[in-house]
Amino acid sequence: MKVLVTAKRVVDYNVSIRVLSDNSGVDLNNVKMSVNPFDEIAIEEAVRLKEAGKVEEVIVLSIGTSASQEQIRTCLALGADRGILIETDVEVQPLAIAKCIKAIIDKEQPSLIITGKQAIDGDNSQTGQMVAALAGLAQATFASKIELNEDTATVTREIDGGLEVITVKLPAVVTTDLRLNEPRYASLPNIMKAKKKPVEVLTPEDLGVDVTPRVKTLKVTPPAERKAGIIVETVEALVDKLKNEAKVIS
Amino acid sequence: MLDLLRTELSCGIATDAETLQKYGLDWTRFYAPNALAVIFPTTVDEVVALVKFANLHRLALVPSGGRTGLSGGAVAMNGELVVSFEKMNRILDFDPIDHYAVVQPGVITANLQAFAAEHDCLYPVDFASAGSSQIGGNIATNAGGIKVLRYGLTRDWVVGLKVVTGTGELLDLNKGLVKNATGYDFRHLFIGSEGTLGFIVEATIRLAPRPRNLNVILLAVPEMAKIIAVLETFRRHVSLTAYEFFSEQALQHVINHTGGKHPFAEQSSFYALLEYEVVSAEDVDASLAAFESCLDAGLTTDGVISASETQRRDLWRLRENISESITPFTPYKNDVAVRVSRVPEFLAAVDAEVGQRYPNFEIVWFGHIGDGNLHLNILKPADWTVAAFKAECELVSGHIMRIVAEFDGSISAEHGVGLLKRDQLTFSRSMVEIDLMRSVKAVFDPNNIMNPGKLLS
Repeated sequence: MKVLVTAKRVVDYNVSIRVLSDNSGVDLNNVKMSVNPFDEIAIEEAVRLKEAGKVEEVIVLSIGTSASQEQIRTCLALGADRGILIETDVEVQPLAIAKCIKAIIDKEQPSLIITGKQAIDGDNSQTGQMVAALAGLAQATFASKIELNEDTATVTREIDGGLEVITVKLPAVVTTDLRLNEPRYASLPNIMKAKKKPVEVLTPEDLGVDVTPRVKTLKVTPPAERKAGIIVETVEALVDKLKNEAKVIS
Repeated sequence: MLDLLRTELSCGIATDAETLQKYGLDWTRFYAPNALAVIFPTTVDEVVALVKFANLHRLALVPSGGRTGLSGGAVAMNGELVVSFEKMNRILDFDPIDHYAVVQPGVITANLQAFAAEHDCLYPVDFASAGSSQIGGNIATNAGGIKVLRYGLTRDWVVGLKVVTGTGELLDLNKGLVKNATGYDFRHLFIGSEGTLGFIVEATIRLAPRPRNLNVILLAVPEMAKIIAVLETFRRHVSLTAYEFFSEQALQHVINHTGGKHPFAEQSSFYALLEYEVVSAEDVDASLAAFESCLDAGLTTDGVISASETQRRDLWRLRENISESITPFTPYKNDVAVRVSRVPEFLAAVDAEVGQRYPNFEIVWFGHIGDGNLHLNILKPADWTVAAFKAECELVSGHIMRIVAEFDGSISAEHGVGLLKRDQLTFSRSMVEIDLMRSVKAVFDPNNIMNPGKLLS
């Protein structure tokens, strides 16, 4: 069985984002970039399935600038077998990404596609669902547990108010939630070995996919700054502020 | 005396048993506190008035910061007045050209670090207790920590210091100057003086540029003796910001204490944690090349690298949580240092001595090995009393100190002397030096009211 996983290059989760002074976007200059944390979980799951003998090959796919090679290399060190980079300097949006993934599915015919439930840059949570729809595959989103059977997968989903267990026919698209697993550290010997693993570089044109953005970003602004708190002297003053200023009690 | 204090001084005074207990102790767990009262000054003028009052009435004063010290430097056990700086906790100014922050002594170290980050700078002195310790205490003990290899000690970041001497004189030292060749630099005398010369009431701190991207590598190192060769190899390839080491035992305590999983499939006897700055992809390649040379030379058997900031922090926690995770075992801490080049030889000598004399004690090794600084912790077996254990450890320490002296090392690398190491000072400093220290103290504190009994007997 072949598994396709995705790895988006995003601003590291712990970096405090700065908006460019002309409000055209987020400052990416000299900022630490990492694999989207939900994609990291997808890779870990695929590698575990391989280690359990249920999967033969793990392919990692990234779509973005040539710098995304770095994230593919990380995933290869974590245990993926080979990489594919769809290289483009265009700002790729969920629909374009989904079409690229669909093109790779057609090419590679994986039995399972695992993606993060969302990427932490756009926080759209659209790509996995769009891929399933475009490819006409079953989808199991927000997975916290995946069990592979002969030609189905039983997936526990995190839903509002609880868990839902569904069985989907393979091939299927699964998107990962936080509790699915805890990703391992990349080992240095594996990073060295990963240098020899192949990474195929394609362009959207090679795949016949139009990645032109459909949505135009007009302006990016930081959230309004919180006002500094005050210390009130007495309980009466507190009650007064809560009543008349905050209006949270009456 | 307390009534007189209340009438003559304007600052807050507490005398309830709970406060006396809490402020009479630091993290050193071998002393019973006995303070007269705890005073909370809020201004420099109040500190001056307090010291003048204490001088007049020959009242001993003990300065109190975050009380995270490990040598009893902030312990009040002889009816002293404890002076807590926790209400003087404001950052007064930031200069965007000099990159200086002016701070009151009670500013918590982590708050200064956060303040620096807000201004796109770095306050680089960092250690596990940074969330509780205060900058005044950091200066008074010349605190070190995990980034000394790259950034030096607290001393290297203090460009100005206001102090109140033991006679109540307010001194404004160095005033933020980079160059100032005008005789004795008293600033440096107060840094590391453990409150024995005077109180630090304000400091001007230089901030560093913030590194953009740091990676952490954790290496499995089979033998203690190979630790320095690993450091040497990596130093030739990358710009290290930290180099730490710990034993498998230390790691096991952290895993048991905090949960989480072992970072390696196979255990190793020792681990080296190194952090380096990544400016371009070439730095990552260089670190891989360094790892490859270590692997080829048999210095390491395996290694992991942080792929994200989250992983970098998680790997650091394996090192930073050691102290906390062994606290329940009432550890007897030795904090010693030798020149980096002599570390392997020194380790072998200490290991042989301790292993031979005390085969039944669990020894946990870790430390800032890149600075030649080792923390050797002896854990109390459950069936030993604290008193018997401390007495036995002092005997062990005697042997370790003798080895330290043979290697021209320091008996207290960064924990200070305080009460705990006072009687071992002769292993690192000559009698002439110690006598001169006494003379210096007499100049600034003629009536011996400033933290008496600490550092010097």
